[in-house]
Amino acid sequence: MGKAKKNSLPGRVQELWRTNPLFSTGMALVVMIIVQTMALSMNTSFGSFGEWFQNWLQNWISLLRGNAGIGIIALGMTFVIISGGIDLSVGSVYVTVGAFIMVLLNTGAGGWLQSIGLGGIPAIIIALLGAMLLGSLLGEGNGLLISYGRMPPFIATLGSMQILRSVTQYFMKTQKTELPDAYKAIARLDIGGQQLMPILYWAILAAAMYIISYKTTFGRYVFAIGSNEWTTRLSGVNVRQVKRRVYALTGFLVAVAAIIQTSRIGSMDYASAGSGFEMDAIASVIVGGTSMSGGRGSIVGTVFGTLIVAVMNNLLNLIGVDPYLSAAFKGAIIIGAVLLQRKDKN
Amino acid sequence: MRNIYKSFGANDVLRDIDFTVSGGEICALLGENGAGKSTLMNILGGVLPCDSGTVTLDGLAVHFKTPAESLDAGIAFIHQELNLVNDLAIFENMYIGRELKAKSGFLDAKTMCEKCQDVFRRMDVDLDPRAMVRELDASYKQIVEIARALLMDASIIIMDEPTTSLTDPEIDRVFDMMRTLQAQGVAIVFISHKLKEVMAVCTRYTVLRDGEMVAFGDVKDTDVDELARHMVGHDVRTQSLREDRELGEEVLRAEHLSQDRRFQDVSFSLRAGEVLGFTGLLGDGRSELFQAIFGSGGRYQGQLYLEGKPIAPRSTRQAVNLGIGYVPRDRKENGIIKDLDILENGSIVTWPRQAKMGFIRWKQVREDFNRQVQGLKIKMGSEEDLIGSLSGGNQQKVVLAKWLNAQPKVLVFDNPTQGVDVGAKEDIYDTILALARQGVAVVVLSSEAQEIIRLCDRALVLYHGQLQGELRAPDITDQEIMRLATGGGAQSQSA
Repeated sequence: MGKAKKNSLPGRVQELWRTNPLFSTGMALVVMIIVQTMALSMNTSFGSFGEWFQNWLQNWISLLRGNAGIGIIALGMTFVIISGGIDLSVGSVYVTVGAFIMVLLNTGAGGWLQSIGLGGIPAIIIALLGAMLLGSLLGEGNGLLISYGRMPPFIATLGSMQILRSVTQYFMKTQKTELPDAYKAIARLDIGGQQLMPILYWAILAAAMYIISYKTTFGRYVFAIGSNEWTTRLSGVNVRQVKRRVYALTGFLVAVAAIIQTSRIGSMDYASAGSGFEMDAIASVIVGGTSMSGGRGSIVGTVFGTLIVAVMNNLLNLIGVDPYLSAAFKGAIIIGAVLLQRKDKN
Repeated sequence: MRNIYKSFGANDVLRDIDFTVSGGEICALLGENGAGKSTLMNILGGVLPCDSGTVTLDGLAVHFKTPAESLDAGIAFIHQELNLVNDLAIFENMYIGRELKAKSGFLDAKTMCEKCQDVFRRMDVDLDPRAMVRELDASYKQIVEIARALLMDASIIIMDEPTTSLTDPEIDRVFDMMRTLQAQGVAIVFISHKLKEVMAVCTRYTVLRDGEMVAFGDVKDTDVDELARHMVGHDVRTQSLREDRELGEEVLRAEHLSQDRRFQDVSFSLRAGEVLGFTGLLGDGRSELFQAIFGSGGRYQGQLYLEGKPIAPRSTRQAVNLGIGYVPRDRKENGIIKDLDILENGSIVTWPRQAKMGFIRWKQVREDFNRQVQGLKIKMGSEEDLIGSLSGGNQQKVVLAKWLNAQPKVLVFDNPTQGVDVGAKEDIYDTILALARQGVAVVVLSSEAQEIIRLCDRALVLYHGQLQGELRAPDITDQEIMRLATGGGAQSQSA
């Protein structure tokens, strides 16, 4: 590599491409967005630029809103994977927390809070706190198995994944639920005629997680543990506590995703809700450049990764690819992303 | 090898190097970390291509593109980082990639084991070829590597710091073996920092400094001081660094510490400002002992006292909060965190006290770290570079920095100068002595007798986890340490 090359623009781009994994992920996202925009423009004929823009914006809002849940779960998954672990139970925690909210807030027969005479806003606040607490506790359970039970994360969360979904389905067999309108406002609140709340929650949580990952002892410990757990322990870090918290935090974020989704849709299909979420979340994290072996990764990358997968699905939809094939494209994106990143490493 | 040039990016690593080794000769390749020794040998071993220059083997110009080509030509390269698969047996490791097969097409384990046994007999080591490599300690892994080179009938064996993790008797055994091979006409390139070993075993030497060849010749015409001078470019100290210091109150006292078969009934006491050495041969249990004291080594019997109060740290966090620090051995596995930058590696211990509500105050961290950078003379680019960008010596200094900032009452150094160049070694010794002057109680664990002799006020020698005796400066000598470390000491002790 010549010295002159480094100062020229192509040289600098090349250098960025090589050294900053976020750069290549970002470039991939930009390319996807350009193609998607072109597809959108060709798909329908528009009278004016204003009309086109309206359509473009609407497409983006629904895309972001639809992916907020998985986006939020992927934030937690990023920490889990950076710490050197994996969490397969996110989909099951999701459906369990969703069911819990339903049972608490049901305005029909069998609603717990209603049966003890609680309603309105207080009931909703209790349900929200309860849901977040339950999510955190379930995550904490995983964390305890992994840190104190010394179980491989894959096995511990594979177990809890099965247990949680099965038990939830058993108890929720005959439940018919109706949620109060005030609860639905959490996700459906109108801002300028648009339902933007889920996007806002996602953005806020992503920003918070970004700050945590770089500015707090906890965040840096997560990276350190993923890179070299033993050295981190020998540096006086309570590794078990940090790991426990990583899974509890993920459980909490899953609970938030469950709240948003139940509030937005108003119901939940206990047999299928959240199934495959673990793979979607892991895919977002991987496409975003986080290393499966831990120690390296970023929240920004995961947001990019989530968007790349989302934009691709949207694009396939726009150009009318058979929905059965969408998973194949997702798989190709994952493999392609990892190949790209591997090249970057050298 | 003639006129070898090599650069990585803008960084010239080798400039116009000539290097020759002939059969029946043990040639030392000397230089500080980063001098270019490994790069030169990587070119010979086919790991890296050279930018220009020629490599000639038995009169023929050769051009190795892969390690396999070099190996086929009879050049075996034993890397510093051992290349063994832990989950395979010894014989499988020795034959990996060239397994022998019986007529049936299945592996012929019996013949492979027998051939391995032959090699082991030649080397005078007692190893079962069917034992798993995982169960071997670092020294035997090294021996297996050497045996593998022999098995391949290598005519040139390159050994990159082979003695780093070996104990003295094992080093002697390796040296004997090297001499045997030398007598059989094998050429050996011996890369090392340890000048005494070079004097003991090598016939010729070549010294590299900053990518240039600064000296070469016959070992019999030179001495340790001259070689050291060539390596660092100026005079180095080899004399004792010990000094008379006012010792303070007792800081740490251990009474009858025992853990399974690792260490038994160890008692000692340590005063403020004292440098206490622990030494012994491999398997003496000193690392295990201090890991237990540090809260990272599992349960043990016995009682610890810190400044007179009984303590029992159950985690490293508790130990740090009590004021006990531990600089581990094997920097790569236990010392550095490769995905974190220099600043983070040099400060992770003190983050809790440099943070407010869990948020790290990076400005504070940076100030504290920079003070250590100056004190330790750490040479680095940006503190945001990854730790791997530094040389071994500077990495070790960064590991020290994180502990110095923690300002412990007791600081344990476990093999603090392992894989560190001569200059950095002296800096680390200076740091240790400066700590003692400030009243820190220092423990130095080392397998290098010379290190103990030069640094310590008092030395305790362990043998198979048992205290064999105590030596006091200035009566700490090579011979006394060896006598006690081999179990030849009186059982009485005065700790």
